[in-house]
Amino acid sequence: MMKQSNCRRKRILLVRFLLTGILYFGGYFYATAQSQKIQVKGIVTSASDKLSLPGVSVVDVTDPRNGVNADFDGRYAITVNSGTTTLRFTMLGYKPVDVKVNGRSEINVVMDSEISSLDEVVVIGYGTQKKRKVIGALDQVNSQAFEGRPSVNATQALQGKAPSLIIQQTNSEPGAGLSINIRGISTLNNNGPLIVIDGIVGGDINSLNPADIDNISVLKDAGSAAIYGSRANNGVVLITTKKGSKGKPMAIQYSSLAGFNNPFYFTKPVHGYENAMLRNEAAFNSDAANAVFTSAQIAELKAKGDTEWFAEEIVKPALQLNQNLSVSGGNENSTYLVSLGYLDQESNFVGPKKGMERYNFRINLTNEFGKFKLTSSLAYSKQKISDHSSSTSTLMVDAFRVPLYYTQKDKDGNYLTNDVLQQFNSLGILEQGGFRRYNNDDLFGSLNAEYKLTNFLKVKGVFGGRLWNGSMFSRTKQVNFLPQGIYGADRDTRDETTKSLDLNTQFMLEFNKNFAGVHNVGALIGVSNENHSHRASALYKKFTDPDLGTPGTETVIGDDSYNSNGTKPDGNPASSKNSLNSLFGRATYDYNDKYFAEVSFRYDGSSKFRDEIRWGFFPAATVGYALTKENFMENYRDKVGNIKLKSSYGIVGNQNVGDFQYQTTYFTFQNAYGFNNSGVTGTGYNFSNAELQWEKAATFNVGLEADFFKGALSFSFDYFDKVTSDILIPPQVPGVFGTKLPDFNDAKLGNRGWEVSATYRHKGKVLNQSLTVNIGDSKNKVLHYSGGDEKLTGVEELQVLLREGLPFNSYVGLKRDGYFQNWEQIQGAAVPDGLSVQPGDNRYVDANKDGKIDDNDKFIFGNPFPRYTFGATYTADYKNFDLSIFIQGVGKRTMMIRGELVEPFHYNYGMTMYTHQLDYWTPQNPDARYPRLANNGTQSNTNNFRRGSDMYLYDGAYARLKNIQLGYSLPANAAEKLGMSRFRMYVSGQNLLTLSKVKFVDPELSEFNNNLSPSGANSGRAFPTQAYYGMGIDVSF
Amino acid sequence: MKNIFKQIKFIPVALLLLVSCEDLDLAPENVFTDSTYWTSVEKAQTFLNTAYSQMQNSSNFFYNEALSDNAFNGRGDNAGAASIAAGIYDPSLGRLKSEWNDRYAGIKTCNLIIENIDRVPNADPAVIARMTAEARFLRAFQHFQLTTWFGDIPLLKKDPSLQEAQTITRTSHAEVVQFVLDELDAIAPLLPKNTQLTNAERGRITMGAVAALKARVLLYEGRWADVIQTTEKFMAMDYGQYGLFSSYEGLFEAKNEYNSEDILSLQYATPTEPRSWGEFFDMAPISAGARLNALAPTQELVDSYLMLNGKTINEAGSGYNENMPYMNRDPRLTSTVVYDQYQWKEANGSIRTINIKPGTAPGNPDEFVQGSSATSTGYYTRKYYDVEHGTDLKSGINLMLFRYADILLMYAEAKNELSQMNSSVWDQTIKALRIRAGFTDAAALSFNSALGQPALQEIIRNERRTEFGMEGLRIFDIRRWKIAEDVLNGYAHGAKFGPTSVDNGYLRVNLRTFDPDKHYLWPVPRDERLINTNLSQNPNW
Repeated sequence: MMKQSNCRRKRILLVRFLLTGILYFGGYFYATAQSQKIQVKGIVTSASDKLSLPGVSVVDVTDPRNGVNADFDGRYAITVNSGTTTLRFTMLGYKPVDVKVNGRSEINVVMDSEISSLDEVVVIGYGTQKKRKVIGALDQVNSQAFEGRPSVNATQALQGKAPSLIIQQTNSEPGAGLSINIRGISTLNNNGPLIVIDGIVGGDINSLNPADIDNISVLKDAGSAAIYGSRANNGVVLITTKKGSKGKPMAIQYSSLAGFNNPFYFTKPVHGYENAMLRNEAAFNSDAANAVFTSAQIAELKAKGDTEWFAEEIVKPALQLNQNLSVSGGNENSTYLVSLGYLDQESNFVGPKKGMERYNFRINLTNEFGKFKLTSSLAYSKQKISDHSSSTSTLMVDAFRVPLYYTQKDKDGNYLTNDVLQQFNSLGILEQGGFRRYNNDDLFGSLNAEYKLTNFLKVKGVFGGRLWNGSMFSRTKQVNFLPQGIYGADRDTRDETTKSLDLNTQFMLEFNKNFAGVHNVGALIGVSNENHSHRASALYKKFTDPDLGTPGTETVIGDDSYNSNGTKPDGNPASSKNSLNSLFGRATYDYNDKYFAEVSFRYDGSSKFRDEIRWGFFPAATVGYALTKENFMENYRDKVGNIKLKSSYGIVGNQNVGDFQYQTTYFTFQNAYGFNNSGVTGTGYNFSNAELQWEKAATFNVGLEADFFKGALSFSFDYFDKVTSDILIPPQVPGVFGTKLPDFNDAKLGNRGWEVSATYRHKGKVLNQSLTVNIGDSKNKVLHYSGGDEKLTGVEELQVLLREGLPFNSYVGLKRDGYFQNWEQIQGAAVPDGLSVQPGDNRYVDANKDGKIDDNDKFIFGNPFPRYTFGATYTADYKNFDLSIFIQGVGKRTMMIRGELVEPFHYNYGMTMYTHQLDYWTPQNPDARYPRLANNGTQSNTNNFRRGSDMYLYDGAYARLKNIQLGYSLPANAAEKLGMSRFRMYVSGQNLLTLSKVKFVDPELSEFNNNLSPSGANSGRAFPTQAYYGMGIDVSF
Repeated sequence: MKNIFKQIKFIPVALLLLVSCEDLDLAPENVFTDSTYWTSVEKAQTFLNTAYSQMQNSSNFFYNEALSDNAFNGRGDNAGAASIAAGIYDPSLGRLKSEWNDRYAGIKTCNLIIENIDRVPNADPAVIARMTAEARFLRAFQHFQLTTWFGDIPLLKKDPSLQEAQTITRTSHAEVVQFVLDELDAIAPLLPKNTQLTNAERGRITMGAVAALKARVLLYEGRWADVIQTTEKFMAMDYGQYGLFSSYEGLFEAKNEYNSEDILSLQYATPTEPRSWGEFFDMAPISAGARLNALAPTQELVDSYLMLNGKTINEAGSGYNENMPYMNRDPRLTSTVVYDQYQWKEANGSIRTINIKPGTAPGNPDEFVQGSSATSTGYYTRKYYDVEHGTDLKSGINLMLFRYADILLMYAEAKNELSQMNSSVWDQTIKALRIRAGFTDAAALSFNSALGQPALQEIIRNERRTEFGMEGLRIFDIRRWKIAEDVLNGYAHGAKFGPTSVDNGYLRVNLRTFDPDKHYLWPVPRDERLINTNLSQNPNW
């Protein structure tokens, strides 16, 4: 793809999308009229190829507001106040140059490239590091990843942007959760990483405005993550928000992106008349006495044609608007950034407007007063979600199930029920059934004070946290259907509020000193407390006024209402509190940027464990070796590039258990039973495990970083091996025991994997291109489980298995061996116990050859966790046009699909078949994908669909064109004429193309959440996938 | 350097501030801990309430009927009824596991009460004794249910440790039954008679409930003489004051709760309160507010109702007209089953016709349409339909586990098994029930001494079937009579809405198989045996 070109004119770095705004920071400046003004002009060229450098910023150091940019040919002209001042030339990717004017009027400057950007600063746990000194396994994602994409939240924007950063969703509905995972499965419970925003633990990544994010560091190995100790087992994601730049005039940036999310389904129902024939075929195959449809009825259906599919009728294209405005700048001592963001993501559901709106406001300030530096940030986010009053999966599945010969609404506006949906239909609920409105306020702030005691020692104090207030107000309105059926007869009016507070306090002492010019020594020691508390309460009323929802004569208060010292209907406490006290530290040493060593530790005490066993110690050590810094490698370094080797080993932990799980507790609940027609309270109990302790993961990492062709190609590779022991998991409890037990430190899991990422940048004469590819894989294996040989958990028709030596949650079921093609094959064949089968029914492998198919014949199949996750970003710019293409996918995954998407007329709840199911067995189609049709409850149906088999498993590999963007920027002089320093307009598209083996569901959707517990997706209950088309502008002043 | 130390001295001060910031010893505020729980009789009582709630759930109460030849679960596999009735299940079936786990959860609650209630300080010993007896009743009830389904089961006289639960073996059915009977004998004197209950205590376990359970245990064991002994004392009002309620139809209505026939029932509050049940949402005629039909009576049940003259429909001279099949039938049919042209009484007393037969009133939601969400058999359920229902047909009617009619029929059956049936026994039992049901024809009411013991056995068994239709008892009866291989093999049928070429026009709704060498006992759940390898399995599973 890369075109050969003798690049000769403009050198614009690939990062220009991000930085154009900063580079062109001319815009507003005012030169104070003074007497000794002189004009300086000249040409800026690049040292490596002697070519002119466009866009370099030139600033008068004594008056930072006075600055210009070099033009396309590298020419600049600046009027300075005095002939004795100094000009500073800066450009990203080049070393800054300061030149004393000394009265000259023409100054030509040569700038040295710094393409490997090794002096870039990388955010690490409780500090920063120069990139060339980084030896931990960490990935950086910068703000470029978020630009121009219609990302609703930062999590979505991160997908595919770093190797082994696995983002999955179970649903594409606005506001639906996404799961984040780093490097696969290393524990048997929550595998989500720790999120740290501007140094503060406890913020919500999804309430951030993606446009505010400056960069994200993903800490993957113990070497980089151990400083977060007991919560670092699943990796750490450090998010840093944007700040103003010192000595820069005010810059105003505005961006707006508007587009439509067009819903689409991968599944299509068959024609109405076709469905009627298929119903008859199933009935005939089941020896039913009557045909379901007479031939006259079928002819009539065919003549009448299909009605609109209910699932299509309840969705529409929805508007999405992202708008951001930021003002930033700074002087010598302080910087500021103020940003405003607005997101409006409408839901695809029809009816009154639904969807999510989010307002973001942020102020980031830095102030320096001599040795004292204060960084403060305050972010406020308001999120408003409007939803229908029902459950999306119910609405979807109801709409999915109806064949194309019914209608939802007649011409008089009545909502209709039919003999598939006797009670209600989704359209009526969406249009008239009331609403659920969430209104959340999220206030996040941090104060970071730094005082330089000496030039090598500083003390830091950080205080910050998050105050979150969420409320929900909902009303269920009654909808009457024809000929019968009522929705929302209880006329619920509900209120819920939750207030939560996360507080972080940290004190640190930091030491950095160079000895004898080659020994660089750094040390950090700190203490911290993090605590979380929340209180929630809810008031639920039934039979409220149909118009206002206010109480009336019939109104009763629902017994699921709760006070803040009570228990929620889901069994969780309405209030909770936990706290973590920690001591942590790090020591780093390097010899002349050649040999590196680093140790870090954390000592954590958690309120989640009992007093005596509350504290845990988590150390890690890392070494690094910049091979090409050796003298004997000089030749290689000059001709090829740099090589750095690194390795780390350490212990990190996981404390993901309930707050008071180590104590046996008794809780009461209302209306357990009734005497004399009134409800009485009952008591339940949660048994404890007083010995509950941390999970500990020993993690080994080895990695290589290399670049070639003077940095044009950079490459990194990491291999890791992680063993998590004392995994918190409930033991195998027999039913006879009579109750469940909480987690025990009871299992051991190994997880190994690797990641590669590579970037190639090519600068041409007029065409600049870059390609970044990342791919990662991990493979886990249960090493020990003391709760028994194995644990089988039913997941609908199949089961998942926890067994030593196998990946966690491997699917288990019967293995299909084609179909019984005729009666002869059935004679004496092994079939599931008690069942008689017919030709066209599934034949299963009799693994133990005992002549019957039962539990002893189960096979172990693949596991649902994605492997070979990859992302690829291609960017190109040609003259004023720019293009970016982002592809993301999964190389291997076993996906379970079930319900009506597999079984025709699922349990008699589903009443239509879908086109992909037409590949079923008939004597003429002996190698079909699916067995013959037969009614629910027949022996055939039970054999084929109630005996979980690999028929329900599909290949979940896919590649998706996640985003494509094409932009055009006005030439600088044209923009300036319009009073702007930069103007770019672009079109953006998301989810436009998907390549996958499985064609009838969205392969990106996962049937499991972050805890690897089933989420109910992939059974016709998922919100439609959205293809996005939008247009945007970026303007800088 | 001096300067540095000047600055550093602030650090410890700051650290001190931090450490005092948050204590790590946090206590929950919404729950009790073990040391704070057993402190009052009230708290012990709420524990006991939980044990009551675990007795039985409404879903199993109704869907158990579809395990038998009386009904068909035509949508989904509610409570495993579709799979079990058709004989197409294995030890992994969810119902087996939930029946097992839920009952052992109930046993655990009882054992925890029995083992901890003495910790309650300053309690009235009589109150404690009664509560303990209630817990022991519930524990015995749970064991009895388990052993009826599974045969040999782990017997838990005390709360097991996890290790014990993982290694326990099955105790023989006979020993479990003996334990149950011993317990019932031991606790009976500690419990009040129904006449001694205050209104607020209605629904709690009485001496009568103990005797009724004991009679049922003995009946299922075929210990006829013991059944007679217990039921005779019952009928002599030794255990409390009981009698047949005047109206069979009214017996299952909300307004007649706590009548003299109710010995022990699952307690529900009112339709609008959370303690309610809602199975009729999937059982009632669609036009009466149901969303679909998942449980429907079979033709076999309908056919079992006698003619008003006391004859079965197939008997010579019965007067049965296949074209007007619901005419002149046992009035209990109308109180139990909704059939085509049923005269449905609305809450306001008005009457309307339910049209089920295809073509009678096309497009009406109750109509039988093959494969639709309406009835799968041509019938709906009437018994326990609550005219005062709440939304989604929620009801607060108590569901009777034991009623006095059962005592009478147990007595009649035991007497006949010992060939002691006579007109006096007949008049006390069958006749009394038929009069209450609304029979007036002397041919139906009087004892026919010419019938021998086997014929009388048929009559008594059929009386039991129709008296308790849709009350969830039939499956236990066909299992103990060992007639399941006769009535649960072949097709279950629906109304005569099909082509006459097949089964004379009666709808084939479900093909069933029952293997007598295997299906009389449920298999021990698969998951249970995976964890505890000491658990043996029932024959042929």
